Amino acid sequence: MFRRIVFLIAGLACLVASTPRAQAHPHVWVTMTSELLYAPDGSVTGVRHAWTFDDMFSAFATQGLEQKTKGQFAREELAPLAKVNVESLQEYAYFTYVKVNGKRQKDALSDPVDYYLEYDPKEAVLTLHFTLPFKTPLKAKALDVEVYDPDFFIDFAFAEKDQVRLINAPAQCSVSVAKPHDDFFSAAVRLDKSMAWEANAGMGANFANRVSVTCP
Amino acid sequence: MTRDAKARLVLSVLLVALITAGFCQEAAAQSSPLAAMRQPAATGFVGWLLSKQALFYRELSGLIRAAKSDGTALWGLMGISFAYGIFHAAGPGHGKAVISSYLVANEETWRRGVILSFASALLQALTAVVLVAVAAILIGATAKAMGDTVRMIETVSYSLIVLVGARLLWVKGRAFLRTLHALKSEPAPAAEHAHDHHTPCTHHEHSHDHHVPHSHDDARAHRHGADHSHDHDDDESVLPWGHAHGPEPEELAGPGGWRRGLSAIVAVGLRPCSGAIIVLVFALAQGLFWAGVASTFVMGIGTAITVAAIASLAVGARAVAKRFAATRASYGTLMLRGVEVGAAVLVMLFGVLLLTGTIASERMGMF
Repeated sequence: MFRRIVFLIAGLACLVASTPRAQAHPHVWVTMTSELLYAPDGSVTGVRHAWTFDDMFSAFATQGLEQKTKGQFAREELAPLAKVNVESLQEYAYFTYVKVNGKRQKDALSDPVDYYLEYDPKEAVLTLHFTLPFKTPLKAKALDVEVYDPDFFIDFAFAEKDQVRLINAPAQCSVSVAKPHDDFFSAAVRLDKSMAWEANAGMGANFANRVSVTCP
Repeated sequence: MTRDAKARLVLSVLLVALITAGFCQEAAAQSSPLAAMRQPAATGFVGWLLSKQALFYRELSGLIRAAKSDGTALWGLMGISFAYGIFHAAGPGHGKAVISSYLVANEETWRRGVILSFASALLQALTAVVLVAVAAILIGATAKAMGDTVRMIETVSYSLIVLVGARLLWVKGRAFLRTLHALKSEPAPAAEHAHDHHTPCTHHEHSHDHHVPHSHDDARAHRHGADHSHDHDDDESVLPWGHAHGPEPEELAGPGGWRRGLSAIVAVGLRPCSGAIIVLVFALAQGLFWAGVASTFVMGIGTAITVAAIASLAVGARAVAKRFAATRASYGTLMLRGVEVGAAVLVMLFGVLLLTGTIASERMGMF
């Protein structure tokens, strides 16, 4: 009896301990394509994202917005929303994490430029376009750009086609994409890979979409 | 205790253990890469829950869309909403943790636990429906305005959790200290014991004992501890949060019974689920708001069932502890009070962590 109670208390403690990081589950799905922009001298200057939200979130996000034609949103009509989007994204570092030669670089990117929202009336989905310039353009043998939400409220996944492109990159550079998101049911398997990543990166890190560019 | 009751208790404790074990493994995997390596399947349970939940949630939009032209899709929508609700609450989250801790701390009955779970889940569905009905339909508010509103509600809700926890801690902390105090003086001679009755700490016992004709004689001195828990229960009944002795189901009908649980229901149920709001707005955009409303309430019922199941485990575990306490007289009582204090601390801790954003239960707004 006594043991059971001790076990119970330990169990309750664990319940609390496990809560902080593990309780999120996505309410927003993003299908994305990304481009890495290069300067003529071969240094990388920015990351250009196009994030398409799922239909439910798109309907939610466009709620209450004025529209001239029903079922359609012009880019100008969406401009205030785009501003809200990128401003709120700042708090989350745009969910974009940069590693240079294997080392995480904080504050490598500055605030987004050229941002706008686009509405696809056929699919009824919003796409957010924005570019994150590197504060200092850099050359690296190995550059990793990861996109994920550490709290996993947003589920990021690369699109099937044209997921990553290098723009004006030096010819000898090659890109590879790690896409953990091949299907929903492998979520558990992906979670198990947690030990391969920094333990503190949060659960979402296990769902990271990683672009790796190697330039010899 | 009958054999049947014993079996049920063992079963419930095992279930609690199983569930907490699942969470613990998750915690271990999160905090230590080594632990994760030793247990490769550690995160399987939570991962499975998450993937199921995500799958159900994703199916909602297709079903709402289909329901526009095909009425039979509504059945599918209700089924998926129900499943989503069940899985949604089964994953780690603050609602059931707060409710379970509250039930343990406040010595609530199984029935009250179930009612509390259902009331808070349905309140949660109701706030989501009312919010979207008022904000989106009546005012035509934007998503940002709705997000801001939710954040306000959230702050109120989390503050209430802190208050509920603080209040519990105050009541239970004092009960614990009184038990501790009484325990210290218990082995003392009868003369000292009598003296005890005049100290402020044991004042309530004194007044209670008057109802029992002359229990002050020496022979009873050693039973003091056993009586003690009973005394405290009486003592707490004068406080709005406290508890009259014994789990009397009929208390539920009484006005005091409802008032006691109301604060916990509101604290937990006030904050609407982000998923429900998104589904409602989506349904509204499809011209099927009522389908969204039905879906939200069915989700609420699913959530309530899971929360009630977990809350029942907590209550069952509490019952085990209480029986244990009964066999160990005073030390058992002390331990029971300790568990209650711990649970009260948990409630408050959840509130504080949620309020400060250390743990994020939901995120609303554009992101």
